Amino acid sequence: MFSRVLIANRGEIALRIVRACRCLGITSVVAYSEADRDSRAVQLADEAICVGPAESRRSYLSAASILSAAIVTGCEAIHPGYGFLSEDDTFAEMTRAHGLTFIGPSPEVLERFASKAGTRTLLGKHGLPTIPGSGMLRDDAHAMAEADKIGYPVLIKPSAGGGGKGMRMVRSPRELQQAMTICRSEALAAFGDDSLYLEKWLEDNRHVEVQVMVDRFGNGVHVGERDCSVQRRHQKIVEEGPSPALTDDQRTALLDSAIKAVLAAGYENVGTLEFLLDRQGNWFFIEINCRIQVEHPVTEMISGLDIVAEQIRIAAGEPLSVKQSDIELRGHAIEFRINAEDVAHDFRPGAGRIETYLAPGGPGVRMDSHLYSGYEVPPYYDSLLGKLIVWGPDRATAIARSRAALDELVVDGVVTNVPLHRALLRNDTFLNGEFTTNLLDRVGSAAFMAAADAAA
Amino acid sequence: MAGNSEERATIAHLADEVVPTLIERLAKSELGELEVRQDGWRVRLRRAVDGAAPDDHAAQPVARHKPGAAAQTAAHAGEPHPPRREPQRGQVKSPAVGYFTLRGGVAVGSKLRSGDNIGAVDMLGVRQEVVSPVDGVLKSLEVESGQAVEFGQAIGQVEASV
Repeated sequence: MFSRVLIANRGEIALRIVRACRCLGITSVVAYSEADRDSRAVQLADEAICVGPAESRRSYLSAASILSAAIVTGCEAIHPGYGFLSEDDTFAEMTRAHGLTFIGPSPEVLERFASKAGTRTLLGKHGLPTIPGSGMLRDDAHAMAEADKIGYPVLIKPSAGGGGKGMRMVRSPRELQQAMTICRSEALAAFGDDSLYLEKWLEDNRHVEVQVMVDRFGNGVHVGERDCSVQRRHQKIVEEGPSPALTDDQRTALLDSAIKAVLAAGYENVGTLEFLLDRQGNWFFIEINCRIQVEHPVTEMISGLDIVAEQIRIAAGEPLSVKQSDIELRGHAIEFRINAEDVAHDFRPGAGRIETYLAPGGPGVRMDSHLYSGYEVPPYYDSLLGKLIVWGPDRATAIARSRAALDELVVDGVVTNVPLHRALLRNDTFLNGEFTTNLLDRVGSAAFMAAADAAA
Repeated sequence: MAGNSEERATIAHLADEVVPTLIERLAKSELGELEVRQDGWRVRLRRAVDGAAPDDHAAQPVARHKPGAAAQTAAHAGEPHPPRREPQRGQVKSPAVGYFTLRGGVAVGSKLRSGDNIGAVDMLGVRQEVVSPVDGVLKSLEVESGQAVEFGQAIGQVEASV
């Protein structure tokens, strides 16, 4: 096991990794930008080191700065969190070249799964039905040709990461041409990489993903699925597990196929296989996320596992601590992303001082957040303030507890998206477990909230 | 000193060609300062401090602290909008995270011109120059050669000559 780990991230995930390190007896060193000097992760870590200015390109996205920080602080491994350098195979390779361990898949594995098109082909060969899509787009003309082949509507997606940045659904060549430029610049700003690809868009689809963990000895387990169908502009807002859209037979088939395919394809470390589910219950593999995900606590709540700790153990060359037969999924968990966004003004992101922060409590309630009263939310990064995760023995109890927890949560000083969560918990489509990924965009968030208010 | 024709030609060249070109380049770039040296002359342009780069309002860095230091760190979050700290005039800051090496011949008491190299930070084998921000005398060195530094860490203090 490692004795010192550099955490190359910020916000709630940096804090989450500090906590995992503490439980494993590892000294944590947080690499931070000048804008995050007063962050909770910096305060709680055993050590902290400033790696650059606020601008991500020169701090959290600077491979040389992060590696240099790991070396001068004597760390043996780097945990990249999610986003930033988490799926960058070049960074993983540089890390190894300097004698350090990248906490994630090995560079070879990252490279094997780096191409979305290549991954679809590879996992398709190992038994997963896949969504039609393109390879990396060379230019607009190539995009037009590929879109014609796939058939509209298509979804433009960035190769380098998720989170809805650089993603647009388009219904015509004209829309495609217009959106390409925007997507390129969004992807470049978010991931330092503007490569894009296309994917067939399914109307009324649900997003269901499977959590897997595979060690270096080829032992692999799935830890159930999560349903992330509540999205706004391809950005997940609420995630839950298990998915209310699957029958037990469908679930078993999906989970078994997913773990078999990744094992056969030689995946390693924790990862998530994302699928789209159509109205008829058919599922299609879309992509694999080779990192810890924002919504991993949903799975932790229903499985009792510490996925971040498991990830660190796998990277340290230890075998998985559990076998498939040890994993028992219990109850239902829902995660609400608490974002600094003004729902009434087109989700305008906010920043500023948190006057008061009070986390909710009670049975099954977990709050993963880097907030504290007096904290200044910097304007340079994404708007995630934290995640409220609520568990119940069944979905109805989890929902009831969620309502109480959201009422208890106090975040004063910046506008948050909590009103949207409250509206969701009054919406019949959500309560019946029938949400689809484009529902919020189709109805419009303002209309959605007004309808929920009228019904209340 | 009476200017001979050669000097006058140099001055005309500087005023009419070099300076306008430099102004244009500085405006287009993100640099704070631009300097050209040639033969017997040198021209330095510096951007006004207003609208400064983020580096300029950095707080004091906290190098490798223990959790116990947290209270201090949080203290300056106490104001609604922390005032932009005036860059401490004359403070030499690390441009990168890595190992610092003092340049040979530089010591406390050395006379420095703004932009003079006083050492370098080695970041993965790439040398990032550490420069004096003002004309003056090196008053103190807070870091020794070979020591690890973080981004923005105070390396020394130059007392500005008036």
